[in-house]
Order: sequence, then C-alpha cells, then structure tokens
Amino acid sequence: MVFVKAQKSRSYFKRFQVKFKRRREGKTDYRARVRLINQDKNKYNTPKYRYVVRFTNKDIVAQVISATIAGDMVLASAYAHELPQYGLKVGLTNYAAAYCTGLLLARRVLKKLDMDEEYQGNVEATGEDFSVEPAESRRPFRALLDVGLLRTTTGNRVFGALKGALDGGLDIPHSEKRFAGYNKDGKSLDAEVHRKYIYGGHVAAYMNMLMEDEPEKYQSQFSDYIKAGVEPGSLEELYKKVHAAIRADPNPKKPEKKAPKEHKRYNLKKLTYDERKQKLIERLNALNAAAGGNDDDDSDEDDE
Amino acid sequence: MPAGHGLRSRTRDLFARGFRKKGYINLTTYLRTYKIGDYVDVKVNGAVHKGMPHKFYHGRTGRVWNVTKRAIGVEVNKQVGNRIIRKRIHVRVEHVQPSRCEEEFKQRKIKNDQLKAEAKAKGVVISTKRQPEGPKPGFMVEGATLETVTPIPYDVVNDLKGGY
Repeated sequence: MVFVKAQKSRSYFKRFQVKFKRRREGKTDYRARVRLINQDKNKYNTPKYRYVVRFTNKDIVAQVISATIAGDMVLASAYAHELPQYGLKVGLTNYAAAYCTGLLLARRVLKKLDMDEEYQGNVEATGEDFSVEPAESRRPFRALLDVGLLRTTTGNRVFGALKGALDGGLDIPHSEKRFAGYNKDGKSLDAEVHRKYIYGGHVAAYMNMLMEDEPEKYQSQFSDYIKAGVEPGSLEELYKKVHAAIRADPNPKKPEKKAPKEHKRYNLKKLTYDERKQKLIERLNALNAAAGGNDDDDSDEDDE
Repeated sequence: MPAGHGLRSRTRDLFARGFRKKGYINLTTYLRTYKIGDYVDVKVNGAVHKGMPHKFYHGRTGRVWNVTKRAIGVEVNKQVGNRIIRKRIHVRVEHVQPSRCEEEFKQRKIKNDQLKAEAKAKGVVISTKRQPEGPKPGFMVEGATLETVTPIPYDVVNDLKGGY
C-alpha cells in the first residue's frame, strides 16, 4: 500500500478557490481592512485616513494612508531608520523608538497640512492619556489606527507608536486600556509606568540589572549601546533630545541615490519576437544551403 | 405542504455566489462613490444579508435618488397590472454596480463637443448626428467565369437502372 500515495486529484485543483493574494501572503486582514476603509456614502469622496504601524525585525514603519480604487495613497510616512538623523542610533525597534516614530509621523503630517502651529499636541511626554482639543480654525487631523495582524496586548509597541502620534497632535480614537502600565484589576492607567516606557525606562532597568548580575551578557546584548556610548542613566535625556529634535524639524531628508551597480547576468536574456524570427530564418537558410539545393519546392524562406 | 411565497423564495440560484467566487467581497465595491442622478444596476450579492433588495429588482437598472451612510436609494420601474410605477428602494452598496448604459452616450457627447469646437475654429459647418448604416456600396465581382447551365432531357432508362 505504500506506493499508492494519496494525491490531490485533478478535481481538487479544478474546484480550488484561491484566497486574495495578500491573504495568501498573510499580509492583509481583509475583514479589518473593509471596516477601516468603508466611508459613508453621503461623504462621497472624502478620504478616510488610517494610521498604519508595522514592525519588522529591524525597523518600524508608520504611515498615514488613504484608499482609492487605483491603490492606497500614502500621505506621509516615517521610519525608525530615520531616527539616527535626530540623534537616536540604537534600540530602533523598542517602545521608545516606536513613540519617536509616531511623533515624527504626526509632526510631518501636520506640517504638510500647515496645521503644526495650531496642534502642538503634548510637548512634555507624561504617560497620561492625552487627546487633542479642537482648535478654533480647523478640526484636528483624524486617522484610524491600523495594526495589521498584530495581537493587541497591553503594552504592545504599536501602542507606543499610537501614543507618539497622539502626543504629536493627531486625533486618533483610542482607549487607554492597552497602553503599557494599564492595570487590569484597578482598571486605570498608571501614568508613571507608561512614562517610564516612553523614555526607555524598561530598557535602562534591564541594562542596570545585567551590569550587576551578568556583565558578559550585558556586553553581548547591548554591544551596540556600549559602542555608541549610551549609558542606562542617560537614556531618558537622549530620548528627550530626540523628541525636541523631531519637533524642531520633522521634514524628511532625501538621501542621495547612487546609480545601481551593474550585475553580471546569470540567465540568458529573453529574445524579442523579431530576433527569434530572424534566428529561425538563418537556421533554415543554413539547412537549405547544406542540403545543396535539392529542394524542388520553391519554399521561399527568405521573406516574411 | 405548499411551496410558500416568502421574501426570498425561489432564489436558490439567483442569490448564489458564482463558482469559485465565494467569500470576500473585493474592496472596490466599498470605495465607489455614487451621486444622485447616476444610473446603477442592481445585482444582489448573496454574501451580504443586510440591505438586500427583493428578487424582482435583481438585474434592473435605475437612477440614484438618495445617498445614505451605507446604502443608496434607487428608483426602478416596475410594471404593476396595466401601468408602470417608479418604485423607490434602498439598497446597500454591495448590491449595486455603476451602470454602463450611459457610457457610450457620455463619450459621444465629449467627442461631439470636441468636433464642434474644432469646426467652429475652422469655420466649417458639420453635423454630429448619428446616421443609420446605409446600403452597402456596389462592387465588381472578381475572377468570375461564366458557366451556362442547361437542363438535360429526362432519360428513363438510366434512372431506372439505379433503383432496380
């Protein structure tokens, strides 16, 4: 019985319905996406912005996007790999860096729309829940948080990015239930704990603990920090400076693009239709010449 | 037990989703905007149960008269007895598609405006009316040889031999 393997029959393939491409790739949650994008019909073409936060292994992506039939249009974007310009060189994917990225994005969006004077947001980052107050002339910029496929647990970095955007001056409907430092039993947000996370207090505590208990592990874990000369005590100062730098100049700097390197070609280049036809004609001519003019039929291979 | 004439009776195939098209609804249905006065086709999407029109309206085309948060008001003609009534229904956007019945007309309008503007610039008088197709022009038949066909007299002997 071993040699008869159960296969997927032809009828299985004929009836198989593929999921949407991005669902097959596991990148988009369409159930959430439909609900985020759906705009009231009596608002016609008013765009509905969503604040997208995604984490990769080494980077954080924060974007404000609106959806159209042609595709999603990005209004502004901020990446954690831009933070070195503002003075933060290490720890680019932690809670504090997420806060910085969110703050950077918010200031960029507001600057783009000329609203950054009105909506300063929360300049001094305490951990408290802060919502933008509408100013006199224009209503605050509203976006909806899009977490993607993340599990929304309390203290997740995505809420650090959310807090950064809120303090930057965007109006994002939220609840404080998922910020780091929320106490489920007491049902209250401990602002002190949250503030600690925003300034990398949890990282500093770990660094201190390792320095005392396991110095070798400290050397291996935080080697980049040591190389950059970042001490656990100076972390808070560092982040404060980064926040100030972001508020001072949120404009993105375009890096110089080098001309791409010419790579050696490892596979044959595809011929065009004309080239293939030409090759065929040459081959047939060669064949005819080799046969030595024996053909009675005047098969004219030279034209066409 | 009698068959019953409920709201969704006899819609087993009508409201069914297509072969290998079950499941998600693609997002362009939600992103489209409709203005009052547009023409839309009503096509029921069986996956969405809210805001479904009655099966009579499946396949009808009507004009938009109202736009609400998630639905569109469509004015459809229905024959009741000896008269046609303009019925106003509200349908969710998933069951509605923009109609292409006016597309040809709109394109012709644009093209005609363009032609008229050009003609005005040149000072030529043109007519942009559509003309029906006239009779085909005459042509000569090529490569025809004349073959005269005459009837042959009836030959009793030959014909009988076959059927004997």
